[in-house]
Amino acid sequence: MKQAGKYLFRYKKYGLLRHLSHLETMKMIERLLRRTGLKFEQTQGFHQRMKLSFAQALPTGIIDLAGLFIASTFEVIDDPFVIKANSLSPNGLEIVRAEKVESSFKLSKALEGYEFKIVFLETPPLDLDGEVEEVNDIWVVRTFRPFNSSVPKNGEFGQFLTVRSKAILSEVQVD
Amino acid sequence: MNVLKKLVSVLDEVRKPSRYIGNEYNSIHKKNSDVNLCLVFPDLYDIGMSHFGMAILYDVVNSSNFASCERSYLPWVDMQGAMLKNDIPLYSLESYKPLNEFDVVGFTLQYEMSYPNVLRALRLSNIPLHNSDRSESDPIVIAGGPCTVNFSPMEKFIDAFLIGDGEEAVLEMLETMRNGKREEKLKNLSKIEGVYVPKHSKRVSKRVVKEMPSAPRAQIVPYTNIIHDRGIVEILRGCTHGCRFCQAGMIYRPVRERSANEVYEISRDVARLTGHEEISLLSLSSADHTQIGDMTSQLKSLKEVSISIPSTRVDALSVEVANAVSGVRKSGITLAPEAGSQRLRDVINKGISENQIYEALEHAKNSGWSRVKLYFMLGLPTETDEDVMAIGEMLQKAKHMGFKNVSATLGIFIPKPHTPFQFAPQIGIEEAYRRYKLIGWAHKYAKINFTDPQKSVIEGVLSRGGNEVSQVIEMAEKRDLIFADWNEMFNPQEWFKIFDECEIKLKDVISEKDGNYEFPWEHVDVGISKGYFWMEYQRALKGILTPDCREKCTGCGVCPNFKVKNVLKGKRAPEIIPAGGEMI
Repeated sequence: MKQAGKYLFRYKKYGLLRHLSHLETMKMIERLLRRTGLKFEQTQGFHQRMKLSFAQALPTGIIDLAGLFIASTFEVIDDPFVIKANSLSPNGLEIVRAEKVESSFKLSKALEGYEFKIVFLETPPLDLDGEVEEVNDIWVVRTFRPFNSSVPKNGEFGQFLTVRSKAILSEVQVD
Repeated sequence: MNVLKKLVSVLDEVRKPSRYIGNEYNSIHKKNSDVNLCLVFPDLYDIGMSHFGMAILYDVVNSSNFASCERSYLPWVDMQGAMLKNDIPLYSLESYKPLNEFDVVGFTLQYEMSYPNVLRALRLSNIPLHNSDRSESDPIVIAGGPCTVNFSPMEKFIDAFLIGDGEEAVLEMLETMRNGKREEKLKNLSKIEGVYVPKHSKRVSKRVVKEMPSAPRAQIVPYTNIIHDRGIVEILRGCTHGCRFCQAGMIYRPVRERSANEVYEISRDVARLTGHEEISLLSLSSADHTQIGDMTSQLKSLKEVSISIPSTRVDALSVEVANAVSGVRKSGITLAPEAGSQRLRDVINKGISENQIYEALEHAKNSGWSRVKLYFMLGLPTETDEDVMAIGEMLQKAKHMGFKNVSATLGIFIPKPHTPFQFAPQIGIEEAYRRYKLIGWAHKYAKINFTDPQKSVIEGVLSRGGNEVSQVIEMAEKRDLIFADWNEMFNPQEWFKIFDECEIKLKDVISEKDGNYEFPWEHVDVGISKGYFWMEYQRALKGILTPDCREKCTGCGVCPNFKVKNVLKGKRAPEIIPAGGEMI
């Protein structure tokens, strides 16, 4: 039997959508993909759903510029598809791109971790590891968190904003 | 003004902020309209977004060329606190504009326990609670929904009520509010069919749309996990079985069906435009649709969505319909026998025999349903201890039939306005507990959920009361008795204290009334006369059945009074008995 193509999607979630929980984000993305009309691989069992696998969950309130998920389909996903998806997407959710990966690709193996930007309106606390940058009385601390380790929560360090800015992947094997 | 800037700092501090962010997919942001309306569902977003009536009016108004419609819901208490602290008024989810900057604010009154919530929403919006205190700069506050068939308890707070179907009337109302002074607008509103303006009207007849109106397809897709998180297609409105306790069955007459083809087209579009995984066919009794077989087989071709039907009646056909849409996954089926004994089912005009119920259960069992949920009411007119015991016996039999799981919900019967049982008494709290205990032995066969009888008494007073109850509602809101339908917020002692302070005699309100008793809702005409209700009540007491008017007209008066008729897509409706003609 022919195997469906596996795609790695990158998305951004910002603005008021940062207040969505991980489950709400997953549901929002699944419904967006359903609106495109493209057939994606489904889970097995009685209650069939789209088979999507998301990378690490993010606590509510964090801006996500480095969202990742994997979906499989027999159809071709190209730039026009991404444009179509974005036209059907709520404000604040954007699919950045989708790339085909090998069928053996697993996010849990490829994802090394994330870079976070923690934004302060006053001098950041000293116990927060990372590179500090200051422009016009705004401090940004860049910090790396390995995959599946704890992530900075909103307000944890008295910060103004938290951004998951980059996903660090070992080289993605494009099919 | 736009509250968005202030909102940003608050949303990090509250539970489930996704309820308050708005801007959902398919929400409409219409600018430059002549008149703007904010519809408010006086409960949490999770409940309000599941309500289809508001979705219909949102679509109707935003499709017009002169008016716009936005939405608002009552925030949970943590958010209310945060809003007060940060000086944020209640706002709409489209433009984040405070409600008091709208031309019109419209509440939907779906259940009586939400009345204090309405006042809380007004308070959070800085709109005076009493209609007499509102000035030129305040919005006109309107209300619709089933509770308006007895609007007396809310008369002090609302500027204009719309009774009946809203699709046509809402545009006429907004049209009159495009220009002019407040007083002039109110006067003009009172001239619209179906509208009651406390300041100007004496009587009102409900508004009826003759055919099923167009349906919203690009339905708003919420982010939050709401109570009914699915697409909705209304397949028929009204129900003519004539169950004597059922207010919806009386006030939504006549029956208006949507054709199977149209239901298919709408379902297909809703699925495509929303991305919902499930579509629910909405009606008071889906199995009654004269094209239900065609409909379910057409819908089977929509592979990408699952179809659900809220089952209510308990007969083989309902089970068949549930089978037709359920696919392989058959978890639970819900059936409503309402009463345990055949005698009592005849009193309420349920029109279903003991045999039919067990056939339906057998059929459900053989079709693979492993869990069954049964709905009953306690305290129906003439109910005896034997009738109550019969509920337990039915649960026992259902369990012995081999269902893995049997559960039952026991509600307390509340005599509702504009029903044959409006004359009937409601049982008190102690009596309700006594009767409930009679079937204590049935717990080993079924999980029995029992509605709090204290809540039923409060609901009974709010639904049957007159103007004197408005004081109670006002005090309830002041004492934070909002979200009364949420168990953690329900404080019956405080409610009863308020009834005492307002000298509301509970026993009087819930006692039996005779045919000459003057109800607070007599100036609302739903098309069925008090004489017909009284006759039906007398037939009930004698256990005489009245047929479904899709089979034979019973002379209730709705069709001749409003020049309408049952709209059936799969068969001819019977001849109508003219106004003043002999009732069945």
